[in-house]
Amino acid sequence: MMKKFLTLLIIAIQFGLIAQEANDILSQVVTKLNTVNDYTVTASLKANIPMIKILPSKATIYFKQKDKFKVASKGIVILPKQGFTEINGFLANKKSYLAVAGDTTKIGGVMTKLITVIPNGESNEIILAKLWIDTKRALIMKSQITTKSNGSVTTSYSYSDNVTYGLPSELVFEIDVKAFKLPKSVAADINKSTTEKKTKPNKKGVITVTLTDYKVNTGLSDAIFTKKK
Amino acid sequence: MLLKNTYNEFIKILSKPRSYLGIGALTLLVGIIIFAMKADGRSIISFVTSSFEQTLTFNGDVLNGNLIAFIILQMLIVHIPLLVALVTGDLISGEAAMGTIRMLATKPISRTNIVLSKFIAGAMYTLFLTLWLGFFALFVSRQIFGTGDLIVLNSDGLVILQDADILWRFGLGFCVAFLSLLTVSTLSIALSAFAENSIGPIVSTMAIIILFTIIGSLDVTVFDNIKPYLFTTHMASWRSFFENPVPFSSIIQSIVILVVHNVVLVAIAIYKFNKKDITS
Repeated sequence: MMKKFLTLLIIAIQFGLIAQEANDILSQVVTKLNTVNDYTVTASLKANIPMIKILPSKATIYFKQKDKFKVASKGIVILPKQGFTEINGFLANKKSYLAVAGDTTKIGGVMTKLITVIPNGESNEIILAKLWIDTKRALIMKSQITTKSNGSVTTSYSYSDNVTYGLPSELVFEIDVKAFKLPKSVAADINKSTTEKKTKPNKKGVITVTLTDYKVNTGLSDAIFTKKK
Repeated sequence: MLLKNTYNEFIKILSKPRSYLGIGALTLLVGIIIFAMKADGRSIISFVTSSFEQTLTFNGDVLNGNLIAFIILQMLIVHIPLLVALVTGDLISGEAAMGTIRMLATKPISRTNIVLSKFIAGAMYTLFLTLWLGFFALFVSRQIFGTGDLIVLNSDGLVILQDADILWRFGLGFCVAFLSLLTVSTLSIALSAFAENSIGPIVSTMAIIILFTIIGSLDVTVFDNIKPYLFTTHMASWRSFFENPVPFSSIIQSIVILVVHNVVLVAIAIYKFNKKDITS
């Protein structure tokens, strides 16, 4: 009986330590991200998504704490529905999730620690978040976020000038596109025969966002986010 | 003499009330589409993009004049052949029905040139109709909705074209659309040479278009060999200018087939009209 109790106690302590380690790592990341109150950045977007043909485009991205986000562009730009700010907001509320530390992995020559984040509540849109964190610099190097309605998005992060703020210079989003369906009544091309061989579309789409010319903590007005897109 | 007769033929077209029916119908239809898009365009667009918007966001002005122009073209290019045939199907048979064909044949102009002048006059009317559609679809839409990148939906997915890269596509697209409508015009003139009344060629033209379109849309392998030679298969080739990259070789092939149709149909009309007994 005593043996069983001790085993359970050790497991509980071990789990507690793992959770504590994960929370500490996340805390460092959040602290770094919180040094940014707002930013403006020029984004160059390249999308390689099955069933969508779009040329590279440019946009200006505005962000202000806690969750104000706006993309302004002359033309049409495609971005993943999640991946820019959701994780920041999610991690900021420590009580809303449980974090568990996992393996260490090398990503782009950088040693990272896998932190799995599970939300406590049922109402949260995020079901599961896996974060590969460079513990030395407190930077997210890769993330995989699974949400209730939008599937999974894997994001790879690269950093350069604004590493002190934890702001990436490049984001590579890998999105799940298996749910894409075209409305037949609109897409039907009467001259295209279905007897023609159809190539199976790729299941993954990639959006590469190169971020340059950051303007951090300039005191962005709230009005920017309320104006018509 | 050919030009003079062409001018006369064009005056004849302008003097018929039915010639304005097409222009009026076109103006009304474009007006209705623009009104509908202004009132509820966003929900129509979201119906198309909703599948993509589960994962992606489309930032920027999706509902713009270029998209409206494309939608108008796509919707109306199917129906304009009727408006064209309504006028051109009457060009030779109308003369026979009214009894003016004999007087026409007594003019110091060959029967071949009479057919050619009717073909040119029909082509001018078709061109005017196409330009009218182009003006309303593109110019008016862009004035009301503004410009922007164009989202085109085809059976392979979405193609997003940049604003600066669109006008030339519309320009060339209208040229090919005109050639398609010209084929309809020539077909109805050719059928008109066989008939003694106006209704026959108009109905026959539409029946042929419907028949060929149905054959073209049937996924039956037995028709695969004839589909590439049906002019209706190539009537939508204007749409290819909105693909990226533009499949120029297939567009040229479509143009060649449409031109061949026009030449053959004019030749048939000339042959038939030259053989036509106008004395009885």
